[in-house]
Amino acid sequence: MSALPQGVWRGGEFEKTPRITFPTGHAALDAQLPGGGWPMGALSEVLHDGTGIGEVKLLAAALVRAAESDRLIAWIDPPYLPYAPALAQAGLPLERCLVVRPLTHEDALWAAEQALRSGACGAVLFWPERQSRNVDYAWMRRLQMAAEAGRSMAVLFRSTLSGTHATPAHLRIVLESEDGHLMLRIPKRRGPPLTQPVALHAVDRPRTALAPAPARRARVSLALAAGHR
Amino acid sequence: MRVGQAIASAKVLCGNLHVLLRDVAVEQEALEQLAAWCVQYTPAVSVDGQGVALEVEASLRLFGGHARLTAALRNGMHELGYRATIGIAPTPMAARLFARAEAQGIGVRSCVAIGELGGRIAGLPLFLLDWPQRTLALLADLGILRFKDILALPREGLARRFGPEVMADLDRLTGRMPDPRAPYVPPPTFHVRLELASEVESTQALLFPLRRLLSQMEGFLRGRGAGVQQLTLTLEPVRSKSTRIELAFASPEREADFILALARERLGRAQLAAPTLVIDLRAEALLDYTPRAATWLPGREEQTLGSERLLQRLSARIGRERVFGIALSDDHRPEHGWNQGRGQTPKPPTQRLRGLTPKPHFGARPLWLLHRPQKLVSEDGMPLHQGRLDFIAGPERIEAGWWDGEPVARDYFVAANPGGERFWVYREHHDPKCWYLHGVFA
Repeated sequence: MSALPQGVWRGGEFEKTPRITFPTGHAALDAQLPGGGWPMGALSEVLHDGTGIGEVKLLAAALVRAAESDRLIAWIDPPYLPYAPALAQAGLPLERCLVVRPLTHEDALWAAEQALRSGACGAVLFWPERQSRNVDYAWMRRLQMAAEAGRSMAVLFRSTLSGTHATPAHLRIVLESEDGHLMLRIPKRRGPPLTQPVALHAVDRPRTALAPAPARRARVSLALAAGHR
Repeated sequence: MRVGQAIASAKVLCGNLHVLLRDVAVEQEALEQLAAWCVQYTPAVSVDGQGVALEVEASLRLFGGHARLTAALRNGMHELGYRATIGIAPTPMAARLFARAEAQGIGVRSCVAIGELGGRIAGLPLFLLDWPQRTLALLADLGILRFKDILALPREGLARRFGPEVMADLDRLTGRMPDPRAPYVPPPTFHVRLELASEVESTQALLFPLRRLLSQMEGFLRGRGAGVQQLTLTLEPVRSKSTRIELAFASPEREADFILALARERLGRAQLAAPTLVIDLRAEALLDYTPRAATWLPGREEQTLGSERLLQRLSARIGRERVFGIALSDDHRPEHGWNQGRGQTPKPPTQRLRGLTPKPHFGARPLWLLHRPQKLVSEDGMPLHQGRLDFIAGPERIEAGWWDGEPVARDYFVAANPGGERFWVYREHHDPKCWYLHGVFA
């Protein structure tokens, strides 16, 4: 197996294309993400039920990095208003935050696409299900393309119900709260799906992860030959 | 049918002939607008009778030579909805001659050296000049039809027979005599009206003619090194009230594409009272415009520009009050601890308010703050919210605001419910000591 030439991707590995990522600030989570963090220039989904389990805080470290070199962080249609002192505590540059509260679902999608495509936003956080239960696959695909074009980190917050639908997102993370720990499952990533959940300690101490899940490599003996140029 | 035919005989030949009257005033106006647009290529523009003359010698290096300049002019005119024939020559009269020859379908090569001019015009017919019909007829009777014939005649005899004007024209044409032109001075403001061929109902269909007007404005503004920060677009129907749309930008702008993108969002939301017949575009205040250098690597400035444009685009469609920034304000009361930077543009790094960033003496603050605290039900003095709340941190006493009539006296706690959701709750100091939900730790 080790004698396989370059350009051959094995089924059990992470995607090999180099991609810019923003570390999450949690070593245990970084280890499970291809590239070691939230992907830039791609769409990610965070599925969670109930607000207040630390779903946004999980992104804090990445958002600080995304706002570097004077890029904006766009909050499209958040469920409540982001509270300035909390953002400042998390180290986010407030003057780079932009809140958009559109009136209709169409406007919200449009705003998210514009923000991603403009290239002015390092990160776009979008709550697409605030105004409509279903988010069109075609629209998601558009957002994905816009994120690629604008080299932006796009994160969609959706309910766990949408976990049954297909997604064009590169990364899908499901959050659940269990005994004060945040449990993460990764049903979709550029690599083998994660079978065992990652546990993170309740939100306040992001740098220490409790009980890191064993970094088990799925053993897949099938080798897939990628297009070799 | 041919040129110069009487209308009556033309109608006999062609039954469904549609005759349009020539409107010289409108023609002249269009020429002046074109002249204003041409000022972007050279300051020495003049309008003469049926054309525009540009002195381009000094602009050739900047615009990359004759070929590129004429291509740019042709494309630009095409965008404005006109078709231009262009002649290049060392004298304005010769250039006009060439342009007319092209319009008549006579092939002619442009000429840049004065020495070659005589040879290039030799084969052209004399009727391309604006000479009186009588003079041309007389010359034709003598068998003089082309420039080579007339230029071969002795000068004195020609002047005696046809008058000094004819001689002077020929001298100006060949460059023996200077031909100064009064430069066209563009008006101090930009205003253009476009009458559409038919009434237009959908705002989307207005974008195409609007784009034309905006290109015209871009050329006008380029010529003056200016930009506009405010634009008035008026859509006039035949009878009922016209629709006025004001476009405002954060900084002076002039790029047609950018302005069109903003206008598209505004038009998309506008309700037209009646189908539009006339588009009227007006820019009163022209401001200095700093062109933006395009670079390969987006730097800080481009990033700021991108942010500004994004902000303008979003607020154009979603509404100014629904797109905003957030800022800290120096108050201990949670609801006053922030404010909304309305339509705030990202500040350049030098102006950042460094003084107001993180306050270490604060307890944990929730990411989401409820607009209005929500009263909670309590059981045995303990608050409930989707289950019994357990306190994780607190109390943090906040007592402030007695000086401005909105006093606050509360004990704040961080609390979690059985579902693992964490909230920011408080209890009022005064009786009946009610519990309130004030934030969510997302």
